Amino acid sequence: MTTRCLKRAVSAALAGVVLVSLPLPAPAQTPIRIGASLSVTGTYAKPGTQQKEGYDVCVDELNAKGGLLGRKVEFVVYDDQSMPATAVKLYEKLITEDKVDAVMGPYSSAVSEAVANVTEKYKKVMVAPLAATTSIFKKGRKYIFMVISPAEVYLEGLVDMAAKRGLKTVAIINEDTLFPKASAAGTAEAAKKRGLQVVLQESYPKGNTDFSALLVKIKALNPDVIAAGTYFDDAVAITRQMKELNVNPKMFGLTVGGDLPEFHDLLKQNAEYVYGSTQWDDALPYPGAKDFLTAFTRKFKHEPSYHAAAGYAGCLIYAEAVKRAGSLDADKVREQLLKLETKTAFGDYKVDADGFQVAHKMVMLQWQDGKRVVVWPDDLASGKPRYPTPEWNKR
Amino acid sequence: MGVLITPTMIGQVVISGLLAGSLYALVALGLGLIFGVMRVLNVAHGPLMMLGAYTTFWLFHWWGFNPYLSLLITMPLLFLVGVVLQHFLVRRVVDAPELSSLLLTFGVSIALVNLAQLAFTSDLRSVEFLTGSFIAGPYALSKPRLAACAFAVAITIGAFVFLRSTRLGKAVRAVSQSREVAQVCGIDVQRIHLLAFGIGSALAAAGGTLVAVMVAIQPEMGQVYTFKSFLVIVLGGAGNYPGALLGGLLLGLVEQLASLFLTTQVNEAVAYVLLVLVLLIRPTGLLKGRV
Repeated sequence: MTTRCLKRAVSAALAGVVLVSLPLPAPAQTPIRIGASLSVTGTYAKPGTQQKEGYDVCVDELNAKGGLLGRKVEFVVYDDQSMPATAVKLYEKLITEDKVDAVMGPYSSAVSEAVANVTEKYKKVMVAPLAATTSIFKKGRKYIFMVISPAEVYLEGLVDMAAKRGLKTVAIINEDTLFPKASAAGTAEAAKKRGLQVVLQESYPKGNTDFSALLVKIKALNPDVIAAGTYFDDAVAITRQMKELNVNPKMFGLTVGGDLPEFHDLLKQNAEYVYGSTQWDDALPYPGAKDFLTAFTRKFKHEPSYHAAAGYAGCLIYAEAVKRAGSLDADKVREQLLKLETKTAFGDYKVDADGFQVAHKMVMLQWQDGKRVVVWPDDLASGKPRYPTPEWNKR
Repeated sequence: MGVLITPTMIGQVVISGLLAGSLYALVALGLGLIFGVMRVLNVAHGPLMMLGAYTTFWLFHWWGFNPYLSLLITMPLLFLVGVVLQHFLVRRVVDAPELSSLLLTFGVSIALVNLAQLAFTSDLRSVEFLTGSFIAGPYALSKPRLAACAFAVAITIGAFVFLRSTRLGKAVRAVSQSREVAQVCGIDVQRIHLLAFGIGSALAAAGGTLVAVMVAIQPEMGQVYTFKSFLVIVLGGAGNYPGALLGGLLLGLVEQLASLFLTTQVNEAVAYVLLVLVLLIRPTGLLKGRV
């Protein structure tokens, strides 16, 4: 009686164990938690949200392929309201309270610069996919990695196209803030290297709305090329006033602003022939770009911007390094990230010993009949640049 | 990198400066009026201007409404907003220390900007109505800026005529000269305060409408005009209405000439240096603080 009872109890228990363990393949493991703060509200809400969506698509893809090191992956994301000081607190919390397994970068150079101090302190590897300022990576930090091209090379393409066409002179203007200043400096250097004469280099204060005097000076110098280190409102204002003052360079290129769909929405036919530079375009023939585009639009019902693509690629690059290291250990992952050379849906990745991006390429777009056409570099171009830019009254 | 500055260039820049200056004058006149009548520094002046700009934008966007005709809507609308603000809020701080009115209008300013961000998002908007310019000999006259200048001058003159020649306008000036005496003479001071805030807001709205055709707008566009307006009324003489016109034109000219002869980077700094000089040499402003 007792034996039978015992037997039954044992078999029932065994059955129970079998039943319980059946839906769980492999030994039950906790997911890998990756922490990040993103600008979901505030000034950077738009690009910040895109970056978050890029991370989301990356996690879906990793999990669909069986996770990372055999574990599921999930993001722990907080909103830093576009404020560096808030982001610093959030990364402290992620690392010390939430004890996340890994971190990814926030949006913008300013916020990345601030939180890098925290991630370095706790020796956490941080792939910072949306930090474009060179200095962040040149301060002897060990664990931060860059994905996008630095500000200095934004208008490299414009200079290259101009030099190939035998143009001689360029005027460079920029907003007097960190990013546009760096792009203007980089452009000036590239221009000198390619034998173009910089006939004017001048910055203007943030929020400037009247560029008359500056453009009058430029008009008097009559440069072949005007290169502008802009954000967005200044890009629109300068283009309009160039028309008003009838300033007619053979090429006119912008850093940020010229690449956005809103640029054409606002300026209509006056946006035609203007060159803009961008980190990424969904038409570029990079491996996996199509799949990313499909997955992204299916999940979010809108198109990804380059911020989304960079976030997505940054997350995959980190995952690849973890796979190769076979561990989440910061020093092992760091070693792999330094060695890694790869091409993602966002383009090339390769960093120097400081984690500074050296392989990723900017592309130049030109507005043609209301569409953004990639015109540089040649191997990625989907169309020829319309050159030279006709005078305003002939557009 | 030297640019040889020719008389033609100076001429072009003077034109641009005067065009910009007329608009500064219009907006500053509204701020000056409110300050003159109530001794309230309205920090929310720029955001009120922004509301005017958005009204024009939406009218244009939804119904293709002519932006210049929309002055007939934005000005009365913002007049009402001004009256409501005065009646419910500003009235309470008219006699309080100046810091109270600064704090109050600062709060209103933050509220308006954030409400606009919620309602309209922070996307840039623009009214593509008039672009390009008229060519007069060697000079280019920007169409939207020329139109803005013409309307600004017309509205400014209208406001002067109102203040100089109408009974109500005289009452406004009387209150700004001496509230007590005006009251003794039978002027309803509270009503004049409402009127002044209403007109001040309507002038800001007119500025907003005109700017919307010139540059892209966004919820934070107004702040810079608040500062410029302060500068203009101090330059011209606080409480002196023709002084606002002089101050506005002067600011426009100085900014543009500084950009031409020095660099665009320093044009604001030059404007503030001018302000310091005026305060040192003629603390009452270029025209005396007389109404």
